[in-house]
Amino acid sequence: MGKWQQRFRSLLTEQFSLPSDVILEMPRITIIGHIHFYIENHQGLATYSENELKLKVNKGYVQIKGSSFVLKMMLPKEILLEGTISEVKFLMN
Amino acid sequence: MKKFRNGSDNIAGYVTILVKGTAPELFFQKCASEGIRVWDVKKNDKESCEGNIRLSDIKKMKTIRRKTIYKVSFIGRNGYPFLISRFFRKKPLVIGLIFSFLLFLLLSNIIWEVKITGVPKDIEEKIDKQLTSYGVHPGAWLFSLKTPTEIQQKLIEDIPELLWAGVDQKGTTFYLEGVEKIIVQEADPKQPRNLVASKKGVITKMYVSKGTPMVKVNDYVEPGDILVSGSLQNIEESNSEEKDEEEKQVVEHIAAEAEITANTWYEVSLTVPLEYNYEQLTGNVEKKFYLKTGNFQLPIWGFKEPPYEDIHREITENKLNFLKWELPVSIIETVLSEKQYIAEERTKEEAIEAGIEQAVIKLKQELGPDAKILSEKVLHETIERGKVKLSLYVSVEENIVKLAPINQGD
Repeated sequence: MGKWQQRFRSLLTEQFSLPSDVILEMPRITIIGHIHFYIENHQGLATYSENELKLKVNKGYVQIKGSSFVLKMMLPKEILLEGTISEVKFLMN
Repeated sequence: MKKFRNGSDNIAGYVTILVKGTAPELFFQKCASEGIRVWDVKKNDKESCEGNIRLSDIKKMKTIRRKTIYKVSFIGRNGYPFLISRFFRKKPLVIGLIFSFLLFLLLSNIIWEVKITGVPKDIEEKIDKQLTSYGVHPGAWLFSLKTPTEIQQKLIEDIPELLWAGVDQKGTTFYLEGVEKIIVQEADPKQPRNLVASKKGVITKMYVSKGTPMVKVNDYVEPGDILVSGSLQNIEESNSEEKDEEEKQVVEHIAAEAEITANTWYEVSLTVPLEYNYEQLTGNVEKKFYLKTGNFQLPIWGFKEPPYEDIHREITENKLNFLKWELPVSIIETVLSEKQYIAEERTKEEAIEAGIEQAVIKLKQELGPDAKILSEKVLHETIERGKVKLSLYVSVEENIVKLAPINQGD
């Protein structure tokens, strides 16, 4: 069933050009240069330190690496990260 | 992207909390997922992490903490609530501020200066004395004073030398501008004029200083009759040399001057009720004070209603000032005086007497102080519905001179 749902959803986004982040329950990530990282619709914070932020998303994790990280804002499903970002990685499980 | 920080955080106040324990960032995550706004989260080291939350969210945060093993301590207090409470903790400062405000209030409700302008020194001193007796002097309370117009009237009444006084209150200064009565010098070369009668009457006394008298004592005159003529029939004997060229001009016009009193009469009709009511103050007085803002009045002195049956109320409102502004607060002084209604009856004779008295007083007011009332007679009287209808005949001796300029027609 899960697979069917998945296919139906991607069909929706393709055919009706609905925003994919809403339909597919995926995070929307906005990165401004290497200083700001803004993520909406994440599913929780896994680890956070000065040099690393790991967030749980729909399928797996998003890992951001860099230095002097500060969480400028935390809301239920949003996080704004400030600092020097060097890499953003998607870890699928 | 939205704005993440706004001024409301400062207004509502926020705290910086330090969380200790393993993976402290997860505590913030929990807070965030419970709906608490968290910002400026910084990890200090592996076991400690700090971040800001709103003052109003502290309760929520504490219930979350109870379910976990993290240790939370407050390390910073920011925003206006803390600033204000920090300010209020400095008692001397607060007390000083309140005192200074009260002092300002006090001082701006005191007269600092009374300025008198426009009159010579001696009258200025007199005015100053009078004003002091009214309570207008440096150091007096502004709200205990009467209104400028009242002071103005009183001043003019009490100082006969004053023709006009303008009293103006500007902040804490009283400005008084006076105009002195100046005995007006006789107007220069007077217009030629006749004197005519202003009323009908029988002349009783005549004193003509300039002009040709046209009437005699005991003459009856009608209004408009010439009493003293300003036209002199000059006989050109004594000064013929000078007036050679103007020989034709026989009539010279001068300003006639005379004092002529005549017996005049008036018929006055009036009604006097047999039963009459009047109010009388018994002399029992009580005062009440209120503080008024808008429509609200707060009694500050005199709470009990005096045990008077009928009360005459006199209300005076005085505004409070702060510096040069008027505060929306005013002090109201109410004077409650006990009054009595008295109903009395009188006989016809008494009513007639009262009526005559009334008529005489009224006539005197109309005619001025120079008129002398000689006699009054009741011509006719009827009683109708408890009222006496009177018809009076009053004879008066008064000055009937009226000035009438002569038109020379150039």
